[in-house]
Amino acid sequence: MDYIITTEQLTKKYKNFISVNKVSIHIQKGSIYGFLGPNGAGKSTTMKMLLGLTSPTSGSFMVDGGHFPDDRISILKKIGSFIESPFFYANLTGRENLDIIRKILELPENAVNDALELVGLAEFGNQLAKKYSLGMKQRLGLAGALLGRPPILILDEPTNGLDPSGIHEIRNLIKSLPSLYDCTVLISSHMLSEIELIADDIGILNHGRLLFEGSLDELRQNAVQAGFAADNKSNSANLEDMFLSMINKDNTARKQRVRL
Amino acid sequence: MNTLIIELRKEKRTGVIPLLLSVGVLGAAYVFVNFSVRKDTLLNLPLDPMDVLLTQLYGMIMVLNMFGIVIAACMVYNMEFKGTAIKKMYMLPISIPKMYLCKFLILTVLLLIAIVLQNLALLKIGISDLPTGTFEMDTLLIFTAYSFITSMPTLSFMVLVSSRSPNMWVLLGIGVAGFLSGMALASSNVSLLLVHPFVIMLKPAVAMNAQPDIEIVIISMAETFLFLGMGLWMAKKLRYE
Repeated sequence: MDYIITTEQLTKKYKNFISVNKVSIHIQKGSIYGFLGPNGAGKSTTMKMLLGLTSPTSGSFMVDGGHFPDDRISILKKIGSFIESPFFYANLTGRENLDIIRKILELPENAVNDALELVGLAEFGNQLAKKYSLGMKQRLGLAGALLGRPPILILDEPTNGLDPSGIHEIRNLIKSLPSLYDCTVLISSHMLSEIELIADDIGILNHGRLLFEGSLDELRQNAVQAGFAADNKSNSANLEDMFLSMINKDNTARKQRVRL
Repeated sequence: MNTLIIELRKEKRTGVIPLLLSVGVLGAAYVFVNFSVRKDTLLNLPLDPMDVLLTQLYGMIMVLNMFGIVIAACMVYNMEFKGTAIKKMYMLPISIPKMYLCKFLILTVLLLIAIVLQNLALLKIGISDLPTGTFEMDTLLIFTAYSFITSMPTLSFMVLVSSRSPNMWVLLGIGVAGFLSGMALASSNVSLLLVHPFVIMLKPAVAMNAQPDIEIVIISMAETFLFLGMGLWMAKKLRYE
């Protein structure tokens, strides 16, 4: 397999709290990898570690053959990212914000217009970013991630704050990216129904532990074999039930471990 | 160079550049107004005319510069924390220590411009209003350099603390506390107090002659580089989690 991102026993501890616990994920080049888990599962922390925003307590990871911190600059040149909430300079317009990123990435000037059009923000480019609505800020953050069409995209719940048509639009955009310019996408969400519409592979996290990694078909087979809920409704309903059962079972086991 | 251009673009609408330029213009205006009103009183003081020109007007100029530095340093990082843009910078292929250095350089150059504007006013007064033959260009240039060097520890310290604190009120509090404690301690001859960057900045203002104190110059430079080094190290090693 041609993996572009791999982590090995990646762990992040904060005093008495383990946010990410020995997580080993494998992301294939040119695929969309859905990172799934309830709030506080450790998805964002894992993504932050991949971007060098926080350092792992133990374990390691590799991004396109490079390691942090030695290859920080070369790794970050290949990654477009959007973590938690959109980051922007409140004193600058949307276009000026993207222009700062463009200058850092040493991209041609038309890259800004390209990114603004991709996310449907072209007509609002000259407004101050602080005056944007939440959805527009979200789109600006996405435009910043897509600027220059990077080979790797790390997107943390990118559709938060968008209206239903915006969610549909951005979801379709993300889904089209690997075929559009051969990029790899790592996308997180706490909604399986959203991830299953776009992802090729999936990783399920709960309380920092990776419960499952594989394709959606493997998840279905795995869940049936393990005796998780599976009814005769549509596949999406089955998967949602499987996911919830998996999380509940892990939570129960965790509580038992804590009692012991 | 690219990082410097990027940092200058980020300054748009923050008010940092107009603020420090205004400090220079206000300082120059104060010099003209004060000297025109108090000319006779000042020139009748039992001091050398150059000492009168440079030390008797410097107090207010220094206070303006100090508040200019404090507010500009707050603003230069506040725009990074507002909208958490600093986190985006950590996710981009840009050197964070270089970014810190560029912010430091921008403020240093702006402060230098402000000090030059203020000293141009002193130059004008020195040429036109001091008794004939008493104006010394060398003394003015040396005092300009001295006031700049002694201001740098405060600038370096404020950039360091502003890079680590997202709360602008905390920074302003540190600046005001630095100013007040500096005012209280500046007249003391205890050398240990020179570790306080605001005390160093106040030293030329409490001196009765315009001759630079070499000990203060050396300590100023050491503190400037120490705070700068600490800031660069923290920018490299510490993250905003």
